[in-house]
Amino acid sequence: MSGQSLLNNASSERKKLMRNYSTGIYIHIPFCIRKCNYCDFFSVPLPAKEYLQRYTNALVAEISQRAHEGAGKKIESVYFGGGTPSLLSTEQLETIIRALDDNFRLPADMEISMEANPASLNARKIQDFTNARINRLSLGVQSFSNDDLRVLTRIHSAEDVRVLIDILHSQGLENFNIDLIYGIPGQSMDRWIKSLQTAADSSPMHISMYLLQLDPGTPMAMDIKKGRMAMLDEERELEMYTLGREYLQGRGFDHYEISNFSFPGRECKHNLIYWQAGEYIGIGCGAVSFMDKSRFINKPDLKAYLYAIENRQERPVEEIEKMSHKGLIADAIILGLRLCSGINMEKFRSRYGIDISREYSEVIKSCSQKGLLKIENGQISLTRKGYFLSNEVLCQFIA
Amino acid sequence: MHKRIRNFSIIAHIDHGKSTLADRLLQITGALSEREMREQFLDKMDLEREKGITIKLQPVRLKYSSKDGQEYILNLIDTPGHVDFSYEVSRSLAACEGALLVVDASQGIEAQTLANVYMAMELNLEIIGVVNKIDLPGAEPELVKQEMEDVLGIDRDEIILISAKTGAGVEDVLEALARQIPAPDNKEDDPLQALIFDSYFDSYKGAISYIRLVSGRLQKGDIIRIMSTNKEFEVMEIGVLSPYMTEVQSLSAGEVGYMAAGIKNVNDTRVGDTITGAQRPAQKALPGYQEVKPMVYCGLYPLENNDFEKLREALDRLKLNDASLFYEPESSDALGFGFRCGFLGLLHLEIIKERLEREYDLGLLATAPSVVYKVILTDSSEMYVQNPTRWPEPQKIEQVMEPYVKATIMVPHDYVGAIMELCQEKRGNYLTMEYLSPQRVMLTYKLPLSEILYDFFDALKSRTRGYASLDYEISGYETADLIKLDIMLNGEIVDALSFIAHKDKAYYRARAIVTKLRKIIPRQMYEVAIQAAIGNRVIARESVKAMRKDVLAKCYGGDITRKKKLLEKQKEGKKKMKQIGQVEVPKDAFMTVLDIDKD
Ligand SMILES: Nc1nc2c(ncn2[C@@H]2O[C@H](COP(=O)(O)OP(=O)(O)O)[C@@H](O)[C@H]2O)c(=O)[nH]1
Ligand code: SF4
Ligand SMILES: [Mg+2]
Repeated sequence: MSGQSLLNNASSERKKLMRNYSTGIYIHIPFCIRKCNYCDFFSVPLPAKEYLQRYTNALVAEISQRAHEGAGKKIESVYFGGGTPSLLSTEQLETIIRALDDNFRLPADMEISMEANPASLNARKIQDFTNARINRLSLGVQSFSNDDLRVLTRIHSAEDVRVLIDILHSQGLENFNIDLIYGIPGQSMDRWIKSLQTAADSSPMHISMYLLQLDPGTPMAMDIKKGRMAMLDEERELEMYTLGREYLQGRGFDHYEISNFSFPGRECKHNLIYWQAGEYIGIGCGAVSFMDKSRFINKPDLKAYLYAIENRQERPVEEIEKMSHKGLIADAIILGLRLCSGINMEKFRSRYGIDISREYSEVIKSCSQKGLLKIENGQISLTRKGYFLSNEVLCQFIA
Repeated sequence: MHKRIRNFSIIAHIDHGKSTLADRLLQITGALSEREMREQFLDKMDLEREKGITIKLQPVRLKYSSKDGQEYILNLIDTPGHVDFSYEVSRSLAACEGALLVVDASQGIEAQTLANVYMAMELNLEIIGVVNKIDLPGAEPELVKQEMEDVLGIDRDEIILISAKTGAGVEDVLEALARQIPAPDNKEDDPLQALIFDSYFDSYKGAISYIRLVSGRLQKGDIIRIMSTNKEFEVMEIGVLSPYMTEVQSLSAGEVGYMAAGIKNVNDTRVGDTITGAQRPAQKALPGYQEVKPMVYCGLYPLENNDFEKLREALDRLKLNDASLFYEPESSDALGFGFRCGFLGLLHLEIIKERLEREYDLGLLATAPSVVYKVILTDSSEMYVQNPTRWPEPQKIEQVMEPYVKATIMVPHDYVGAIMELCQEKRGNYLTMEYLSPQRVMLTYKLPLSEILYDFFDALKSRTRGYASLDYEISGYETADLIKLDIMLNGEIVDALSFIAHKDKAYYRARAIVTKLRKIIPRQMYEVAIQAAIGNRVIARESVKAMRKDVLAKCYGGDITRKKKLLEKQKEGKKKMKQIGQVEVPKDAFMTVLDIDKD
């Protein structure tokens, strides 16, 4: 084989691999009915209903502006996140999905997920959304205890959720996720078990359980600082994590990412794209994109966003990072190690050209000795103990 | 010419206004233009300026036109105002014929000042009494004058009242300097004798020595000889500080200036040494300064292991103008290679450490300071131990002795009880009590040096609302009941944390230090057991629970940037730690051995 053809071969090999890593589309809907006291996502209380329509129009405009970014990519998932995307009307949702299909050509059976606040759905809407191609819902349940929900200032009750879940099952929308939070001030072990139990009894395909971690700017963080409420101690948080993990595994869920559980094959495709360091196009105010080795964000400023789009100007983008090769590698490791199966080192080598076990031999050695990291069958992954201490491991992989 | 030279020091307690007075002198004599003037001009180091303490002012030459119509040259050669540096006082005073004694009108004479004035009197210096800060509302100049007369025998009618801040009375100080301080002896025709009273290293010119010519003359191009080493050098540059370095053609007996002679080796220009001419050498060196012995030792270790040589070079440089600094290489199981360094006191230690970190860009870890113990072994041999890790096996020890000081404390009489209580706690023995005035008392106590080293001064200040002052001098070794305490992390002795304690206090200190370590050692992956032991006997224990959780929160696409910032911070944090075995210990943990009394 001549040198030239060797080269060609290598680059086509690379292309093939790149194609294997699918691209996701993320749509951000930055509105909520009311802001929860612990929330640091970019969302604002919906100023007036009309805004949803204005915002939908802007999204459609941005989608067509960015159609070229999808050229040559295989779009594997669409995810509506927020905020509260379930505030959209059926027509608005249909408009957006039609625009996406027109500009990015969405394959027929692809995963289209939507985050939903249990208070913003009803049987009718679910029916319509399903017709509009939503085939996965992620429910912001957080807890099945009304006491917890009050502490979290959620706008829904545990009963709302029960009703909603019955509707989902009756309509055959089985592919849904329940988000749970643990470590809530005042939450007892007992309450936590009940939440887990009720969640599992609701037969979702997927459960996420997140530890409550507060950004210092949130009202709840203030309350804590002022002594009006108290976080649980770490020991208790750990117990809750362990209990949750064991309980859900016992109920047949796979633990596939640090905080995520699903029935086999029902992992969240969209999040897998993140964790496998794939590319994603973020659309909407405050959305983050990772394309072409750089990560950038549509500035989280609603006025500026609407103004720019409506006046056909460049949308306000802040570049977060133009990634070096080293940076890409570090990201891929940090993200990949969140998956319980870890990183396939052979695939990693052909994608990034480095042998993790050689490049990071020191770190791997010391972390393995401490029982935080393991290498098995060509996969490098955190151990069960390593999940709790993932930062300790991950920080050693960054440049 | 020498007839109108006046060489003088300023003796003042810290904060009594030395820098401020020096500023006024510079201003009034026109040494600096308004534009050049900035506060505390002669405070040499950034460090001094930042901390607002003056250890010693930079030398300066001032021209003053007196009321008698003559122009005088006033050379200020400063004395340090902190007890750590008392030994240096002698070297400044030896280069002068007179001294300004500056006392704060609201504070009165302080213990340290007393000792320095006595030293000046012994050297037959002319002393000019000055009461400063008379502008303060709480000023009691008459009382302070009386005290100066009663305690030091200075004629109260000759004491000058000034405010260095407003400038009031400062002219009178200049007049007094010109009129009262004797001119240096005229020995210009004798062979050269010049006293090196300070020196520092300049990266272009090599060693710069500050000198006082006692006899003879010195010119650029002369070949000089250093009398202690007999090494010869050619004078490249001489000059005066007015206050900037200004080159001159020659210096002669009585004058003060600087000299650069391409001297590269630190040992060739020791402070206290005498310079003479190679052509016509003097018979005898000037009376040298007595060699000072460090009183406190600690280990200094580079955080980066390969900075060891850089640290050595930096110490060499600092040693140049600090004869009292001692260092020799040592190694520690826990910390690797470093230096055991000897200092005059804790301020000295702190300054050297900070200068090394700032001026030489080194990251350093300091172990807890220790005094020098004298240990008599069962085979009746003797050893001096300045590093607790060298402490002999208990069964080989016949007797242990520790350095004691005689401490002089001056305090308003209301606080005598408080002082006595404090000294008692610190294992002190009462010696004397004397009334300086109806309100002020001078107490003397014998105290173990180790007890007053660390927080004694702070305790003294806080228990007397800042009114007490302290001076001390080493009085010798005394027998004491001392034992070595080891600190173990996960069962391993950390040699750098071992310390010597009095038997009666061992338990309390062990308890305090393990508690403190528990608080400052961050949670790690394993539970960390902290124990304090005497020999094999563990007398206190604590543990740092294992770290439990990190990030079980959401991590979406956009969050990775935020997440990475977090990881970077964590990584940075790791750098501030010293890895000892499996345990990460914050670098300032090693000082906590002494810190515990503070809480
Ligand atoms: N009111 C007043 N304050 C003064 C006077 N002289 C010095 N000070 C203040 O006393 C403090 C210590 O002065 P400084 O010259 O630094 O003292 P040093 O430590 O002896 O050098 C500073 O805050 C000065 O501003 C004075 O004559 N009057
Ligand atoms: S519903 Fe979700 S996005 Fe909206 S404020 Fe509450 S936590 Fe934040
Ligand atoms: Mg000062």
